[in-house]
Amino acid sequence: MITFDQVSLEYQPGHFALRDVSFSVEPGSFTFLTGHSGAGKSSLLKLIALLERPTAGEIHVGPLSYSRLKPRQEPALRRQMGIVFQDNQLLHDRNVFDNVALPLIIGGYRFADIRKRVAAALDKVSLSHRALDAPLSLSGGEQQRIGIARAVVARPKLLLADEPTGNLDADISADIMQLLMQFNAAGVTVLLATHDKGLLDTFGFPQLVLQQGRLKNSGRDASASARSELQSRPLTRRPRVQRDSPVSERELIRRTVTPGE
Amino acid sequence: MKSQTTSSASNEAASDAINRAAGPRWTYRHRGYALAQSFRQLTLRKWSSLSTLLMLGITLALPVLLLFAAGPLQQLGNRGVEGESLTLYLDAQITDLQGASLAQELLGQPGIRKTSYISHDEALATLTENSDVSDALEVLGSNPLPGAIVVYPDADTLEPVRLERLSKTLGKMASVERIQLDLQWVKRLHAVVELLRLLAWLLAGFLTLTALLVIGNTIRLELLRRQREREVASLLGASRHFLNRPILYTGALYGFLGGLMACLLAFLTFQALLQPAHELATLYASSFHLKMPTASQFGTVLAISTLLGLIGALGTLYRPSR
Repeated sequence: MITFDQVSLEYQPGHFALRDVSFSVEPGSFTFLTGHSGAGKSSLLKLIALLERPTAGEIHVGPLSYSRLKPRQEPALRRQMGIVFQDNQLLHDRNVFDNVALPLIIGGYRFADIRKRVAAALDKVSLSHRALDAPLSLSGGEQQRIGIARAVVARPKLLLADEPTGNLDADISADIMQLLMQFNAAGVTVLLATHDKGLLDTFGFPQLVLQQGRLKNSGRDASASARSELQSRPLTRRPRVQRDSPVSERELIRRTVTPGE
Repeated sequence: MKSQTTSSASNEAASDAINRAAGPRWTYRHRGYALAQSFRQLTLRKWSSLSTLLMLGITLALPVLLLFAAGPLQQLGNRGVEGESLTLYLDAQITDLQGASLAQELLGQPGIRKTSYISHDEALATLTENSDVSDALEVLGSNPLPGAIVVYPDADTLEPVRLERLSKTLGKMASVERIQLDLQWVKRLHAVVELLRLLAWLLAGFLTLTALLVIGNTIRLELLRRQREREVASLLGASRHFLNRPILYTGALYGFLGGLMACLLAFLTFQALLQPAHELATLYASSFHLKMPTASQFGTVLAISTLLGLIGALGTLYRPSR
């Protein structure tokens, strides 16, 4: 799904945000991107989201090579990704429904489809009843769930999450993780940047560890190498929904764990 | 059973919230979304929008007034020089019949609006009435005055150069002895009228440019206000067209509403001037009549002002430094 080959990002001469980073993430996987603050996690996500261009190396997402991508092709590629931000980036001048609908409006969907998909996305994050509310009237956790609903409403194949639980307490973080895992179970590749050790320990997904712009566990397939280790590790907080279990997406929605459950 | 009822009620509440939260269908299409966003931004800051529109309206009002008044003032200008004429003094041998026939012939020539023949006797009568030369004329025994044709050029020919050309053409005619034309006066009048016209259009141009700058500045502020929205939309995969369309619509909307305000101000000004202008024209026995602007004139102003808004927005969005 995502392949980095000797990728470097140099903001100023001699100041590397990323240096010779190589890894690959398999389609449908859930991968943690971790490291201390300033290690290059956000820069790496920005490269994938086409917000930055590498100064060296090659990035592939699916069959696409970023170096051959023309600027006018970037928006279309970005529409195939869902992005969840630490500060959720909701627009406060419109209600929850319109926030979640924005990617669909951008994508040129018909009104009937927009309505249906937004309803489904809000249902998935258990916030349908807040559709009419302004984002500022929601709690931090609810706002983040709205951010996730917006990221997945266009059914992207890749979900990038930059510290989505950074401002949330442990219980709400677990709920957010649960949601992301459900989308992962439905086939969405998830790359989650976090430096929350609690999350990393609790949810034993493969990790890409960055240190001062370099990948510590660098390899062509960091996620694959870590997967075998992961599968033997029990989940301490909530049962993980198996990606290959024969449950439908609707069934998964029903299993959404709401706060206080 | 109870939990089923609760779940059903909750689903209904959620469905109701979704139904109420969704806006009108047209606002979820690209163009509709851009238009709805433009209107929303305009109504979110009512007072600031209103003051900008007032500023635009007042700035555009003078050019609009000039545009509306151009027709009536042109008429007034033409009427002001209606008395301007050339007098062709004919050869003394030309009879009244020949003179009247020549006056009729001249009427068919380009640049001539009206001709009037003054017979030998009419010339004598006028001279006798306006001077004390009757005794001298009696001594002569016969009428020595020639017939004359008064030529009134049309509006286009009242321009000094054309008038001079017409004068030369008529002077070459065999039966014409002499031509009298006070060209200096015509030249002065035209110079003044041209200067006033130029000043008016320069002022109108400057004010239109000011309106353009006001719209450009408003759009620049709008871009700053919408920066976050634009960044988020860009992250969600919005194209440049999608990002810029609401800004362009805002510019066009400001232009249209500013033009509407200017039309309203011009209409009120015309309404206020109608009666005094009529009274003034009556005092000068002029048929000048200040007409109210037509619907097509209002339409033209709105189209031009909308275009100005669009140009202001385009200039801000695509200026080289961006």
